[in-house]
Amino acid sequence: MIKKILIVDDSPIARKMLKSCLPKDREYEFHEAGNGLEGVNQYKELEPDITFMDLTMPVMTGYEAIEEIIKIDTKAMIIVVTADVQMSAIKTVLDSGAFMVLRKPIKKDQILGALDKAMDTKEKGAQV
Amino acid sequence: MILDQIFDAINTGILIIDTEFRVIKWNRWMEIHSGLSEDDIKGVNIFDKYPDLDNTKFRRSCKSVFSFGNFSFFSQKLHRYLLPFTSKSLLGNQFEFMQQSCSMGPLRDENNEIKYLFINIEDVTDVATYEHKLLEMNIKDGLTGIYNRRFLETKLEEEYKRCKRYKSTFSLIMFDLDHFKNVNDTYGHPCGDFILKMVSSRISAAIRNVDFLFRYGGEEFCCLLPETKLDAAVLVADRFRADIESQNNVFEEHVLNVTISIGVTEFIAECESGVDILKKADEALYTAKKTGRNRVISLR
Amino acid sequence: MSEQATDILSSDEVDTLQEIMNIAFGQSASDLSEVIDTHVVLSIPFIEFVKVTELHTYIQQHVKEYSKISIVEQKYWGKFKGDALLIFASGAGRELILLLKNDEQGSLEAGSAEILESETLLEVGNILIGACVGKLAELLNDIVTYTPPMVLVEEDARNAVPANKFDPDQTAIILKTDFNFEQGGATGFLFLVTKNESVVWLKKALQLFLEQYE
Repeated sequence: MIKKILIVDDSPIARKMLKSCLPKDREYEFHEAGNGLEGVNQYKELEPDITFMDLTMPVMTGYEAIEEIIKIDTKAMIIVVTADVQMSAIKTVLDSGAFMVLRKPIKKDQILGALDKAMDTKEKGAQV
Repeated sequence: MILDQIFDAINTGILIIDTEFRVIKWNRWMEIHSGLSEDDIKGVNIFDKYPDLDNTKFRRSCKSVFSFGNFSFFSQKLHRYLLPFTSKSLLGNQFEFMQQSCSMGPLRDENNEIKYLFINIEDVTDVATYEHKLLEMNIKDGLTGIYNRRFLETKLEEEYKRCKRYKSTFSLIMFDLDHFKNVNDTYGHPCGDFILKMVSSRISAAIRNVDFLFRYGGEEFCCLLPETKLDAAVLVADRFRADIESQNNVFEEHVLNVTISIGVTEFIAECESGVDILKKADEALYTAKKTGRNRVISLR
Repeated sequence: MSEQATDILSSDEVDTLQEIMNIAFGQSASDLSEVIDTHVVLSIPFIEFVKVTELHTYIQQHVKEYSKISIVEQKYWGKFKGDALLIFASGAGRELILLLKNDEQGSLEAGSAEILESETLLEVGNILIGACVGKLAELLNDIVTYTPPMVLVEEDARNAVPANKFDPDQTAIILKTDFNFEQGGATGFLFLVTKNESVVWLKKALQLFLEQYE
C-alpha cells in the first residue's frame, strides 16, 4: 500500500530537503503544508500515515498543531523535525503526544530509521 | 620544521593544551618566563602547576573553544595576567607580575575536529605601566600627590549617584588655609608649596582608607567621606583643624604656624547633583572665614 | 529591498540560507546555555539586504526603542567574512555581571565599575557571536577565526554606529536575530554584516549544502 506522508514546515527548502531524504525505492504520496493550521486541516482531510512537523512556524506553531492533531487522532504518528534542540522544547512536544523528535540538519539514515520505527509502531498498534 | 623554529623564535608565549587540560606544547618564551622547561610540564595538567587558573572564566572559555570553536580573550584591564610570571620590565615595579593580554582558540585535526586549544600570551607590562602613569597624571595633583579637582568632580558625581540609588550618605569637608597669601608674600612661593605639601600629607595620614582627599584649587582642599553622617564628619574636621594648628612648621630658618577654616556638609536626597553639595560646603567654608577663621562650620 | 536581494542571491538561495540559519541559531542557543548556565532565547533570524550607505539608518531604526545602547563589534574571518555587531539595551552590562559569576573581581581601581561592565559585555558578546557565527560557518563547511571584540558602552543610540564605517559600494547581507537571557533580562540584537566578497563563496556553499539532499 502506498504510504501517505504529510510534511508541515514553513520553509519550502526544508520540505524539499526532507522529501529527498526519504528512501527512493519505496512509493509515497506526499502532501505539504506551510504552517500548523494548514497542517491540521490537511491531516483531517487526508489521514496521513506519518506526519513530519516543524515547530517554529507562522500562523500556528508546531506545538499547537500537534495538540490539535492528537485531539483528532490519538494514534497520529508525528515526527517532529526541528532546529530547536533545547531539552525543554523536546519534552514539551513528547508530552503532547509526538512520536519522536529529530534535530535539524536532517540526515538520510536518521530519517529512514525514524520512518521505519514509526511504521512499525503504527502497524503493531493496528494489529492489537 | 620551519614552523617549529618560528614557534620557539617569536617573542610571545604559546602553549597548547588538550581537552583534559594537559600541556602538549610549551614554547621557548614560556620556558624563559615560567622557569619551567617543556619537559617539566609536557603531559601535566595545567591546573597542577597553576592552580589559580582553575576558575570559572577560564573553564568557561575553554568550554566555548572546545564546544563551538570559539575564540576567547583575556584583557589585561580586567584580568591583569593569566599566568603569574615575574615581570622583567625596565620601567620599574609598578606590578607584581607580568601584565598579560591573552587569547585562546581551537586547533583542529585533519577531520576538522577540535582536539586542542592554544593560548597566546603577550607581555603588555610596559604599556600597562605607561597607562597607569597617564591615569595617575590625570587624576592627581602634581605638587602634593593627592587627587586633583577633575577627579573630585568625577568622584562626587559617582558618590552622589550611588547614594541616591542605595539611599546611603556621604559627607564633604572643604577647607582652606588662612591668610595663605601672607605666607607666600613673606617667605616666598617655595615656602607656600612646602606648607601645601605639609597639609596634604598630614591630612592624608589622618583619613581612613575609604576617604578621598583632593586639592580643589590653590590653597583649597576637599575631603570626601563615604558612609559618614554630618556629626561624625564635623568631629573629623575639627581633628584636622586642631592638628594643623598644633604644627610648628620649620622652613629654612623660620618657624611658621598656620590654621585652616573648614566647611562641612552632608549629602541629602534633595540635592540636584554633586555640584550642589560642593556649593553647600563652599557656603559653610565662607561662613567659617567670615566668623573669624580657624574653625569648623557645618551646613545641612 | 527585495529587488536588491534577488540581484545578490536567488530566492531559493535566500530560503536555504534562512533554513541554515534557523538550524545554526537553534544549536547556538543550546550551546550557549551550556556555557553560560542560562537559557538564551534567540528569535527566528531573518535576512535582509541593505546598501552599506543605508546601514547606519537601518540599524538605528531597529534599535530606536532603546535610548542608550552598548555595542560589541567583532570581525569574523573565513571564506565567510564580515562584521558582527551585537547591540545591547542600556544597562545590559550590569545585568550580565551577575550572570557570569566570575571570581576575579577584587583588586579593582578607580573607574573599575565601567571596566568590569565593558569587559562583561565583551565576554558575553564574544561567546554569543562565536556561537552564532561558528555554527553558521560549520554548516556551510567553513572555519572562521575572530578578531578580539571591541566594545562601546552606553552610547546614545542615534550616533553609535558611524555612517562611514563600511565600504560604501557594498551591499551588506544582514542576518539579524534578537535575543534575551532568561535570567537577568538583558536583551538586544545581533547583526551579521556579511561582506560582498563572500557572496560567490556563499552561493557555492549553499549549493553544496543542498546537494546533500538531492
